[in-house]
Amino acid sequence: MTRPPIRWRALLFWLGTLAAVTAVMLAVRGNLDKAHVTLVLLLVVLGASAVGGRTVGVAAAIASFLVFNWFFLPPYYTFVIANPLDWLVLVAFLITGLVAAQLLYRAQEEARIARERSVEVDRLATLGAETLSVGSAEASLAAVTTVIRNSTGAAKCEVHLRGAQHSALVDWVLATGNAAAQQQDGTVHLHSARPTEAELRALETGVVLALLLPLQARERVVGVLRVESPQGLRLDPARWRFLDAISYYAALAVERAQLVADAERSEALRETNRLKDALLASVSHDLRTPLTTIKALAHDLSALGDERSEIIEAEADRLNRTVEDLLDLSRLNAGALQVRAEINSVDDLLGALVQRVEGSVGPHRLVVSLPPEAPLLLGRFDLVHSLRILANLVENAAKYSPPDQPIEIGVARHGSHVAVGVSDRGPGVTLGEEERIFDAFYRSSSVPDVGGAGLGLSIARRLAEAQQGSLEYGARPGGGSVFTLRLPAVDETALMKS
Amino acid sequence: MSRRTILVVDDEPQIRRAVHNALAGDDARIFDAATGTAALTSAASERPDLVVLDLGLPDMPGIDVCRELRGWSEAPILVLSARHTDDEKVALLDAGADDYMTKPFSVVELQARVRALLRRSRAGDSQPQIRSGALVIDLVARTASVRGQLVHLTPIEWELLRTLATNAGRTLTHRQIFAKVWQGRAAGDAQQYLRVHVAHLRRKIEEDPVRPRHIITEPGVGYRFASAEQA
Repeated sequence: MTRPPIRWRALLFWLGTLAAVTAVMLAVRGNLDKAHVTLVLLLVVLGASAVGGRTVGVAAAIASFLVFNWFFLPPYYTFVIANPLDWLVLVAFLITGLVAAQLLYRAQEEARIARERSVEVDRLATLGAETLSVGSAEASLAAVTTVIRNSTGAAKCEVHLRGAQHSALVDWVLATGNAAAQQQDGTVHLHSARPTEAELRALETGVVLALLLPLQARERVVGVLRVESPQGLRLDPARWRFLDAISYYAALAVERAQLVADAERSEALRETNRLKDALLASVSHDLRTPLTTIKALAHDLSALGDERSEIIEAEADRLNRTVEDLLDLSRLNAGALQVRAEINSVDDLLGALVQRVEGSVGPHRLVVSLPPEAPLLLGRFDLVHSLRILANLVENAAKYSPPDQPIEIGVARHGSHVAVGVSDRGPGVTLGEEERIFDAFYRSSSVPDVGGAGLGLSIARRLAEAQQGSLEYGARPGGGSVFTLRLPAVDETALMKS
Repeated sequence: MSRRTILVVDDEPQIRRAVHNALAGDDARIFDAATGTAALTSAASERPDLVVLDLGLPDMPGIDVCRELRGWSEAPILVLSARHTDDEKVALLDAGADDYMTKPFSVVELQARVRALLRRSRAGDSQPQIRSGALVIDLVARTASVRGQLVHLTPIEWELLRTLATNAGRTLTHRQIFAKVWQGRAAGDAQQYLRVHVAHLRRKIEEDPVRPRHIITEPGVGYRFASAEQA
């Protein structure tokens, strides 16, 4: 707490008044009782306290005490007191004067603080109204900075939001949630958001040019308030409390701005997704219906002995798979893909796989190593998605490997996972491209273009990851590729016991 | 053999024609409808032996046609759909459809499915034995044998096989199979073992579990017993 400055003019005025009153009373001293004198002097002390403050009041009380003793207590013109009872009067007078001065001072001080508080509350209320009532989020932030600038007398007031480019100091405040003060001498003082009084006093020894406060809403730093004044900012506890409160409002304004932006964005997103869903449904319907007709007509042609019908059917199937890829990709991107991880047997997965792909691998032989006597392998996975992944791998293998080479499918239990490997004798993947082949629309530079949009592997990997599995590429010893799909395994014995 | 009547319901004339071409023959008479209302009217008057139903009808949802039809007709329903989520398929099968195919389907597959459904509706439920390739299921003696060799089945495996085989050609959803096999005897958790039991059963009755010929998986939906065609 700082000491109020001594008001010299008030002190002189009230000492003068005391002198005048004393002179008047001296002239009529013979007719005055001690009680009259003390009452008049007490009036002077009260007046001095009320107008001049505590210091002037205390000075007036002490001066009156001396005057009383010197001029009005016999023997006069000495500080000697003859009658011991006069001591009582004198001391009582002194104490009354001092207490009166102190009480008056305290009452006035409280009134002053109450006035300041009410001004603060007024400002905060204005700020609250500004933050919450202004239409757009940007406008409410602008309103907040204006109110802060007006009420603190700062030359500049800015709000820095997360996500934009900032100075290192702003970034530090954003990251730590602490406050920072830039001093005139170029030093920067770093503080917790609620500094102690000692820290504040230390700050006040220099001139604080700018103050950076974290804007915290619901335990989260949403931005930084920067208040700047070339004359220096006053930083007593009351000031700090006000800044603290005001920065909370600013934080609310920032948060409101962000919520409004989020809401607008998610509304737009929802609308986009709805349109996309409708589009996908109608695209899938509109593409599949003519494909059905094309396939049926191709079948009619084959009855007439036209061999081209097979190509027509195969191409229609390929087109259908591309449609499927695009649909899945957009479902994955929209986060709309449903994953049903259920207990499934690898037998089931491979059986469904062979059934699906056997017609579409052309001349390739499909070798599945699943010895019937081996124990049943079980996993917790989505059969439909896993089937899609493997079908994709097998179709890829058929595309890239020489027709006389079989495509081999093997299964094994690897710790907590079931691994299904699809191996071919194709050209393999160029060194350094092993991960990039899983990017959407990526086509390997090393293999001839055999058609397809390059979506298959990227979708396959994402489908694998969506069910807590993985999809990896490995070079096959002796040439070719091995793609390994890993899916979470389940133990049958543990399952049946539970 | 009497001529079978098949009702084809689809709003696309090209599809109607394609299905018509695929199914018409000496033993089948085809008539068609372009809307759900027309389909219900002709189904009532013509009493078809089989209905091929497209889901994307202009006047009413296919699933409602399915339910309505099932209310008064025993004719198997084969659903064709271009918009297919697994949930949709399951809902359809639960509503009384017997099998479904997704567009674009192959004509050969369509013919096979239709044959299987017609055979089942012709055979009725009262046959004592079901033969499928080398597999013989004796419903009276409650035994199954492959190439004359008796196969040892657990009670649940037997119920599974019986349920699937007596519904040959129909795609049964996981829920339907579970309800029929367990008949409310086990709590919901046992449902997840269904696929494990199927895998064990397959290893006993299929010559190559990776190329099953009897119990076909309909991914995400259920299983279908495809009786191998007899000579």
